[in-house]
Amino acid sequence: MRFVQKTSYDQDIRFFEHRGQVFWYGLLALAVLIAPLFIERFYLGELSLVFIYAIAGIGLMLLVGYTGLVSLGHAAFLAIGAYSQAWLMNQGVPFPLTLPLSGFITAAVGALVGIPALRMTGIYLAVATLAFAIIVEQVIIHWPAVTGGFTGMVVPRARIELINLDLQQPIAFYYLCLAILVGCLLIAMNLLRSPTGRAFRAIRDSEISAQSLGIHLSSTKTLAFALSAGFTGVAGSLFAHKLGYLAPDSFTIQTSILLLLMVVVGGVGSLHGIIYGALFIGFLPQMLAVARDLLPVGIAQMPGLEPALFGLILILVLIYEPLGIYGRWLKIRSYFEQFPLYRRATHKRQKSYLRTERLR
Amino acid sequence: MSLLAMNDVSLSFGGVKAVQDVSFSVEKGEVFSIIGPNGAGKSTLFNLISRLYDCESGQIFWQGEEITSVPSHRIAELGIARTFQNTELFEHETVLRNLLIGKHIHRRSNAVADMFFLPSVRRQELVFRKEVEDVIDLLNLQHYRDQVIANLPYGVRKMVEVARALCIQPKAVLLDEPSSGLNPEETEDVSFWIEDINEELGATVIMVEHDMKLVSQVSDRVLALADGQVLATGTPPEIQQHPEVLRAYLGDAE
Repeated sequence: MRFVQKTSYDQDIRFFEHRGQVFWYGLLALAVLIAPLFIERFYLGELSLVFIYAIAGIGLMLLVGYTGLVSLGHAAFLAIGAYSQAWLMNQGVPFPLTLPLSGFITAAVGALVGIPALRMTGIYLAVATLAFAIIVEQVIIHWPAVTGGFTGMVVPRARIELINLDLQQPIAFYYLCLAILVGCLLIAMNLLRSPTGRAFRAIRDSEISAQSLGIHLSSTKTLAFALSAGFTGVAGSLFAHKLGYLAPDSFTIQTSILLLLMVVVGGVGSLHGIIYGALFIGFLPQMLAVARDLLPVGIAQMPGLEPALFGLILILVLIYEPLGIYGRWLKIRSYFEQFPLYRRATHKRQKSYLRTERLR
Repeated sequence: MSLLAMNDVSLSFGGVKAVQDVSFSVEKGEVFSIIGPNGAGKSTLFNLISRLYDCESGQIFWQGEEITSVPSHRIAELGIARTFQNTELFEHETVLRNLLIGKHIHRRSNAVADMFFLPSVRRQELVFRKEVEDVIDLLNLQHYRDQVIANLPYGVRKMVEVARALCIQPKAVLLDEPSSGLNPEETEDVSFWIEDINEELGATVIMVEHDMKLVSQVSDRVLALADGQVLATGTPPEIQQHPEVLRAYLGDAE
C-alpha cells in the first residue's frame, strides 16, 4: 500500500496524488494516442463512438452522480446538440465555431427546462425529463423547416477550410473526439475540485444542510442541469458527424436509457466510471455479436435479445455492485494492495444513522 | 442592541402550537442554552432562526435588523451557523470536503472561473484549505481528515458537524443537542470545545441541550421552554430551582 506524505496544501488540489498515477495515466495517454497505428478502421470508429458516449456521460454523471438528480431525458439534449450542429453547419458557420455554439444552445435549453423541472425531485423529476424528451422528439418531427422532419437532414462534413483538413477521416475524427473528451474531462475535474462542484455534491447528500451553509438550491441545481445539458450537447454535435444523417429515430427513449445505463454500470459518482461505462455500452453490441455465434441458434436468433440483456445487466449491477465497474475495480485493487490481509468486510457500509427528519 | 432577538414568535403545525409567542434575546459573546422536555419546541425554534420554517407571527432580529423573511440560504452569510440534532453531513464525502463546503459563503469565484481553475480559484482554494486546517486543529480532527463520513463513529460525526459550522467563521453558532448520543467522556470534551469556540473564536453559542450538567457548566443564561411557551430565563442555578421548570420536568407535587 502506498502512503503519500503531504507537505503542502497544493497536494490536496493536484489531479495526481503521486508519481505512480502520473506514470499510469501517461501510459494510458500514450496508448490512446498511438492506437490508430494498430487498430482496424472499424474498431477505430467504434472507439470514437465510445469517446462520444463518454462526453455525454460526463454531462449525465455531473447530474446523476454528483448532484443527485435523475434524468431520463438526456437523449433530448443529445438531439438538440446534434440538430443545432447540423443546422449551424448548413447555415455556413465554420466547424470550429459550431461545436461550442451547439454546446451553448443545449446548455441554454437545459437551463430553461431546469428552472421549472428542478422544483421536483426523485421520481417526479425523472418523469418530467422523460416528458421533455418526448416533447423534443415531437418537435423534431413536426418542425421540418429546421430539422427536416421525418425525412431527416444531412450533416455537412466537418472540415477546417483554412488548412484544408477533413476531420471526418476516421483517424482525424478519432483524434477530434479524443481531444474534446480530454477537454471535457479536464473541465469536469476542475469543477469538481472547486466550490461549484462541492456545492453539487452538497446538494446530493443533504439539501437541508447545503441550504444552511449558504448554498442557493435552485440556482445551483439549474447550473448543474445546464452544464449537464451543455456537455451532452457537445457530444450530440460530434454524434451528428458520426451518424452523417440525422433522423428523429436516432434519439429515442432507448438512447436516454442507454446513457443512464452507462453511468450506472460504470459507477455512479466517479469520472472513471464514465469511461468504463462508455466502453461497456460501446463494445457490448460487438461482444453480443460474437456471443451469438456461440449460442444455440434458437436463442441467438431471438428478436429483442440485445435490450433484454441490457436490462438484465442493469438489474444485476444494481443488486450486486451498486458502485458499478469502477467500484468493483477499487475492491479488486484493495484486495491486492492488502494481500493477504484483505477482509471481506472492508467495503461493507454501515447503515446510515438516523437523520434529521425531512423538513419539506 | 442584542445579537439575536425573537419577538413574540409563533408557529403551529395543524393543531399543534409548536412555538407560542416566544420572546427572548441573546447578547453577543454569551453561551445561551435552551432546555425543555421533549416536544417543547426547541428544535423548531432553531429551524425558525435558520429560516427553514416561516414564522406565523412575530419577528426575528439579527444585530438589530429584521430577518423574519430573509431566505434560508442567506442566513449563513449573516454569520449564523448551525448543527442538526441527528447530524446532517455530506455522507459520501471526506471530512475535509465537508469542511470545505462550509467555506462556500466565502467563495469569490464563479462557475466559469471554476471550470478552468484559474489562478484566482487556486489561490482561493489554498486559503480555504489553510482556514479549514485551523478548524481541524482546534477540534482535533487531524486523524479523520481524509476519511469518508459514512465510515466514522457517531461522536466524531458530531464534531465534524461542529467543525463545518465553524468554517463559516460565524458570529453565532446554533448547536442542536451537541451531546446527544455521546458517552460521558465525549460529553466532557464537548464542554471544553464549547468554551474554546466561545472564548478563542469569540462566537456566541446558542444551544439546545438535555444534559443539565453540561448546561450548567458552560452556559451564561438558560431559557426553559415547555409546550412551546417560555417558562423562565435566567442563570443555570436560577433555572434549576425555578418552580415552573421543576413542574414541567417532574410534574406536580401531589
